[in-house]
Amino acid sequence: MKHIKIRTRTFLQGGIHPPENKSVTYEHSIENLPLPKKAIIPLSQHLGKPALPVVKKGDTVSEGQLIGKKDGNYSSHVHSSITGKVTDIGPYYTASNVKSNCIVIQLEGEIKRMNADKPDWSNLSREQILQRISEAGVVGMGGAAFPTDVKLNVPSDKKVDFFIVNGAECEPYLTCDYRLMMEKPEEIVEGIQIIKKLLNVKKVFFGVELNKRPALEHIAEHLREKDNIELIALKVKYPQGGEKQLIKAILNKEVPSGGLPFDVGAVVSNVATINAVRDAVLFQKPVIERVVTVTGRIVKNPGNYKIRIGTPLSDVIADTGLTEEPAKIILGGPMMGPSVVSLDTPVTKGTSGILFLSEKEEKRVRYNAYRSCIHCAKCLMVCPVSLNPCMLSLQGEFETYDQMTRYDIMDCIECGCCNYVCPSFRPIVQFIKLGKSFLKKKG
Amino acid sequence: MLKTSISPHIHSPQNIEYAMRNVLIAMVPALLASVYFFGVRALWLEIISILTAILAETLMQLLLRKPVTVSDGSAAITGLLVAFNMPPNIPFYVPVVATALGIIVVKQLFGGLGHNIFNPALVGRVFVMFAWLPEMTTWNVPLHPDWIRHFNLFHINLDSITSATPLAVNKLQGMSALVSQFGSKTQLYLQSFLGNTGGCIGETSELAILIGAFYLFSRKVIWPTVPFVYIITVAVLTALMGQDPLFHILSGGLFLGAFFMATDYVTTPMTLSGSLVYAVGLGLLTVILRLKSGLPEGVSFSILLMNGLTPLIDKLIRVRTYGKQSKRGRDHE
Amino acid sequence: MSRWNELTKGIIKENPIFFIMLGLCPTLAVSTKVIYGIGMGIAATFVLIGSNIFISLIRNFIPDKIRIPCYIVVIATFVTIVDYILNAYVQPLHKALGIYIPLIVVNCIILGRAEAYAGQNTVLNSILDAIGMGIGFTLAITLIALIREILGSGTITLQMLGYGWVWEVPVKPMTIMVLPPGALLTIGILMGIINHFKQKEK
Repeated sequence: MKHIKIRTRTFLQGGIHPPENKSVTYEHSIENLPLPKKAIIPLSQHLGKPALPVVKKGDTVSEGQLIGKKDGNYSSHVHSSITGKVTDIGPYYTASNVKSNCIVIQLEGEIKRMNADKPDWSNLSREQILQRISEAGVVGMGGAAFPTDVKLNVPSDKKVDFFIVNGAECEPYLTCDYRLMMEKPEEIVEGIQIIKKLLNVKKVFFGVELNKRPALEHIAEHLREKDNIELIALKVKYPQGGEKQLIKAILNKEVPSGGLPFDVGAVVSNVATINAVRDAVLFQKPVIERVVTVTGRIVKNPGNYKIRIGTPLSDVIADTGLTEEPAKIILGGPMMGPSVVSLDTPVTKGTSGILFLSEKEEKRVRYNAYRSCIHCAKCLMVCPVSLNPCMLSLQGEFETYDQMTRYDIMDCIECGCCNYVCPSFRPIVQFIKLGKSFLKKKG
Repeated sequence: MLKTSISPHIHSPQNIEYAMRNVLIAMVPALLASVYFFGVRALWLEIISILTAILAETLMQLLLRKPVTVSDGSAAITGLLVAFNMPPNIPFYVPVVATALGIIVVKQLFGGLGHNIFNPALVGRVFVMFAWLPEMTTWNVPLHPDWIRHFNLFHINLDSITSATPLAVNKLQGMSALVSQFGSKTQLYLQSFLGNTGGCIGETSELAILIGAFYLFSRKVIWPTVPFVYIITVAVLTALMGQDPLFHILSGGLFLGAFFMATDYVTTPMTLSGSLVYAVGLGLLTVILRLKSGLPEGVSFSILLMNGLTPLIDKLIRVRTYGKQSKRGRDHE
Repeated sequence: MSRWNELTKGIIKENPIFFIMLGLCPTLAVSTKVIYGIGMGIAATFVLIGSNIFISLIRNFIPDKIRIPCYIVVIATFVTIVDYILNAYVQPLHKALGIYIPLIVVNCIILGRAEAYAGQNTVLNSILDAIGMGIGFTLAITLIALIREILGSGTITLQMLGYGWVWEVPVKPMTIMVLPPGALLTIGILMGIINHFKQKEK
């Protein structure tokens, strides 16, 4: 602790501080959830094209076996999370509330335990490391699900000076990253070493919000002087976990409009992703499970659970229990996570939390009865990218989407701050998404 | 049955009702001050204005077949603001006409809350000002109040004498006449700050308005930028013009206008730099109208004029987006 | 039937002020008393009928490129006639209407009807059109003047040269209604009401 300098930083423009509600699961250490009877594994758990299935109905697959092959640059491999038999390949509801192709596996047979020896990775070449990350199907686990091998494979003409570890976890309710930092600090530090070697960077920043102070101190104990990792305490502010805001907060640099973080010499990665990278490089372990915060006032046993990818929500509910019928189930945090329509919706690589809201909590948000904009300018004040959400929502309301480019609609990060503060309950982000899809279609 | 909606799934508790309720609470000190200084008649003026506003809003929304949103409290605020802008001895039909005009024409015919270009209460006030100029410019101060009669709920006629407002005295007879009227300069400042001068019922007590304003700041309903920049501009400009700046900011409707009317959400610019331009413009217009026009007071007119400029300010003054090199709007227009 | 239509269309369906929104300038300026409104209406109607007849008669001889100057010459002739007649026989009205009588020359209703109607139609139809439009204009300006006078002065004046009456209305006069803002407010609200009902019909 003594040899680590901790500086408090944040980004200045915008941001909100909604009630954190992290105490529900703050002290619950990571536990394993029982294996699901049936895993519904979506072929599209990442940003790019869906993976191509390489198994047929009736095949027997083992845990960790490749079942979906990546298709194109921004795609990623998909692996079976349990041992069993493929019973169906077809469309099922996923987090985005549209049916997309999934592989359904019925649990059958033995489960192998992972090899516990700790191999040495220092002899691996850059290509080999990237190959292993790619083969394990690692994607960004903070929510965006950007394939990690693509992110870490920086083009040779770009120079990367900084690697930023994202431990901000700014979404209310979620504590999965916090628990990871508390329980696996060594693993995370090792993961950082791997990525440091891969990117050939000198300086690493590790940003953690101040409401997770124990994690900050815990990590500090596991750092050595020569690691050259600087811990940064961040003021609690949503959306600090967003790449652009984190870079602004830590480096005080702005990613150019339409650009990527390495345009300012930085690469940002989430702690859960770093943990997955370490498992992939050391043990060649594919992403078949992840830590998910199961939370909400109506959950009987809330906590941070290690859940297999593809576990349907109904299985999660059966294991954690609910005290009353949920009115709304959200995958991820309440600010950006989508609410689902079906209890068969599976947990995917990008699911950081499952939040159950009761009827009473659900009623507080009334987007269906939104009213006229009263120009209070609260949305302008909270917008972390200095947009004018008020004008954008008016343009969206009158369906004059062409006008929206004048207000830099494409720079919106859809964080939902404007929606959160709008006193008229206007669905501003929805208007912006509509405008974006219209403009993209128009080209 | 699972419900689904767009994210975010949590919401700030500060909705329209919250803001309007807090503005109404913040106006209570000024209301109490008006009753203290001008008797029960002031209370009746305020009650009648609020009732007119609520009635007009309900009727208009029923007539236009819109959802009746009178419970959000914005109509009551308009009514109370109109009453605050009335001289104490005004006939009761004047605030009724002003409120009804503000609500029906300026607010509802333009599309309801959020669509009005001008502040409804101020248009109402300016309308009746030109409609019944003699009534609107006769100022009364209570005559050695008999406290029992003063606070008797049915004693609606004010025992008073006609007296010019300090601003009018300053304009017509000069500062020295004003100082001799109050005894000393300190006394003038003190009585102006407390509210014991002639003027509209809600505007005289700067102390009461400040209490309400700080309540609003603490509740984060309004931001202090516009009011303070406005007041400072007036002080600086009056000082440059050789007038007494402290007297100018403590008299007339400057505080009421700055804290409760220039901060109206709907009719003020949205960006920070826009509000600075707006506030400086307000101060400039107020000083010009006070010192160089035929009228002793100019707060209402300057706020209305700047209301009219607000859409232009919002269009011209933009903030640089994150990650953009230049300010927006240039390359598209 | 169609002739009847030519006559009546100007009164409500194509009322020059509320529907075509022409001739607003004199409407706003002189509608402070009912009698001024009627006087302005009659004067404009006379010019309108005269110019419509004349332009319709000579419409085939006017070269297309210089038709507007030709129309103006015709209209100006009739306006001068009206100006002199009013000055000679109805002095108070002439004084009250002032500059707005010569300005009838550029009144959009008259120029508009000449261009849009009389320039293309027969003499008889043009007369009917002019009468209809004139009545429509007179009615509209009188209605506005009625509202403004009642609210602004508390009277209804139908008196000229000692003939006619003046009624007192028990209203506390609002000075602003006889000032320009009152005219804009009145015409705006009237147009709003009319448009509200027009949209309902659709």
